[in-house]
Amino acid sequence: MDKALNGLTVDTLSVAYGARLAVDAISLAVPKGKITVLAGPNGCGKSTLLRAIRRLHVAKSGCVLLGDTDIGKMREKEIAREIGLLAQSPSAPEDMRVEELVRLGRYPHQAMLQPWSKDDAAAVEDAMFGTGVGHLRDRRIGSLSGGQLQRVWIAMVLAQQTDIICLDEPVNHLDMAHQIDCLDLVSRLNREHGRTVVLVLHDLNLAARYADLLVFMKDGGIVSAGSPRELMTEELIASVFGIQCRVIEDPVHDRPLCIPMRNSSPRFEVQG
Amino acid sequence: MTATANRLPLIYGGLVLLLGVAVLGSLMLGYTIYTPGELWDALAGSGTSEADTVIREYRLPRAIVAPLVGAALGVAGVIVQTLSRNRIASPDTLGLNAGASLAVVAVSAAFGTSSLFGLSFAAASGAFLTSVLVFALAATAGGLSPLRIVLVGVTFAGLMNAMVEVILTVNEAELQQLLFWLSGAFVDRPLTLVARNLPLLAVGGLMAAMLARPLDALQTDDATAQSLGAPVRVIRIASFVAVALLTGASVAMAGPVGFVGLVVPHAARALVGSRHSEKLGAAALVGAVYATAADILARFVIYPTEAPVGAITAVVGAALLLVLLRRRAA
Repeated sequence: MDKALNGLTVDTLSVAYGARLAVDAISLAVPKGKITVLAGPNGCGKSTLLRAIRRLHVAKSGCVLLGDTDIGKMREKEIAREIGLLAQSPSAPEDMRVEELVRLGRYPHQAMLQPWSKDDAAAVEDAMFGTGVGHLRDRRIGSLSGGQLQRVWIAMVLAQQTDIICLDEPVNHLDMAHQIDCLDLVSRLNREHGRTVVLVLHDLNLAARYADLLVFMKDGGIVSAGSPRELMTEELIASVFGIQCRVIEDPVHDRPLCIPMRNSSPRFEVQG
Repeated sequence: MTATANRLPLIYGGLVLLLGVAVLGSLMLGYTIYTPGELWDALAGSGTSEADTVIREYRLPRAIVAPLVGAALGVAGVIVQTLSRNRIASPDTLGLNAGASLAVVAVSAAFGTSSLFGLSFAAASGAFLTSVLVFALAATAGGLSPLRIVLVGVTFAGLMNAMVEVILTVNEAELQQLLFWLSGAFVDRPLTLVARNLPLLAVGGLMAAMLARPLDALQTDDATAQSLGAPVRVIRIASFVAVALLTGASVAMAGPVGFVGLVVPHAARALVGSRHSEKLGAAALVGAVYATAADILARFVIYPTEAPVGAITAVVGAALLLVLLRRRAA
């Protein structure tokens, strides 16, 4: 039976780096088939939480449940068939070809020494088609632009055919057009294929634009979680991000828009 | 299907053909050159007594040792380069050849061992011991990061090579004989020595085949590899063992033949791309051809004296690497 049908729950999860708790007793129900965006200032633990959801960090206490199974007890390949994760700055040899990279997504579906199957080939084709990188298949990844490369990485995660997809700051190094392009692609995957998406995003306005569930984090804990309209208030943003702002209505999208004004707790004082 | 996949049977076929030619050449060419007819008679046991002896006693063993060692080092090189995510890494980078050399030199300085089997055993032990040391040090506090593996390996290699120099300097008597051994050679290796090391090669080769897909995943960064479901740490440990087996058996049979493990992976990648299921096989074939051809060349460059094959593999390898770099394929 498909575990992902039962959704993903974070239950009083703590993750430690040495003595410091990067994630401190967080509980969160990730809504199935929706886009959840984790946002917060640098070092708030949002990437750590995302990685812990995929068990790239071991829980110090608490757990992540897939349906009613603790992912801490699942086998590596088993998790990889349920949850895909695109890391923050993924890397691969520059002379690897696009198709070779996308094919890596089939790893959790293959047994040792088992030959390449029709299902594998179909999944790779679907993933490349869905991300629009089919025409690049024989290009070396070192020759791609940043936007193209990010699409190829997303194709690799898609070829994994997981119901849950985690993306750690997927638009970090992209220009504005490619940021929108990339997130539109993610949101289409969510809408058309019903994939559950968990995103870490730096840009508050992008977060508000794409999130179904927006989660504000600070100091390893969740400050607030809800719809973008509930969370995008001037008071909450000031307390979480330490910035005074105005929140207005996005004239194009039916979403709130934050206009940052000045730092409410200046970290960089100007001398003299 | 990609272009590479269509070309694959052609590439493999071509390499097998080349290997056949190289092995035949290795049997026929040398101080005395034999015709195919003479070769056939000698192998069938009906040739002249001189041709019989030369071909069956001297040339046949090295026509077997050379391709085996070349294949083993080629495969080990591919694994090391993926393991360390470093294109200039090779079994030498992990200090395995230096460890083998040190063991051989130390053992002959201490016990005066000059028996081939004694040296061979020392070499394999040295390589294994070094791989354990490098692995243990790279694993502590750094969690086996590719950079740490290379740093520890290079440090050990430098240290042990220095110790080899020191021991050789104070033991000049043994110098001449050991120097030839230290640059690697396929000469005078009885088939019993091959038979003894064959199990190591077989296990190493089998492990390499089983590691093909995990190594594909390991080409990405750790977080991505792990997200794909690859047990990164287990793969690294298994890779270390495979490399130690393949390199250990190679130095035991032929001494430290340098550069094969560095150049061959580049050639294999240029031929078949970056998937290990294809790259490892190609590396085995390219390595076999390369070592056998170098062994033939070693008989002629300072004719009638024989050159150490390690010198040939290094000179030809450096040139080959430069060509590949110019084509930006490396």
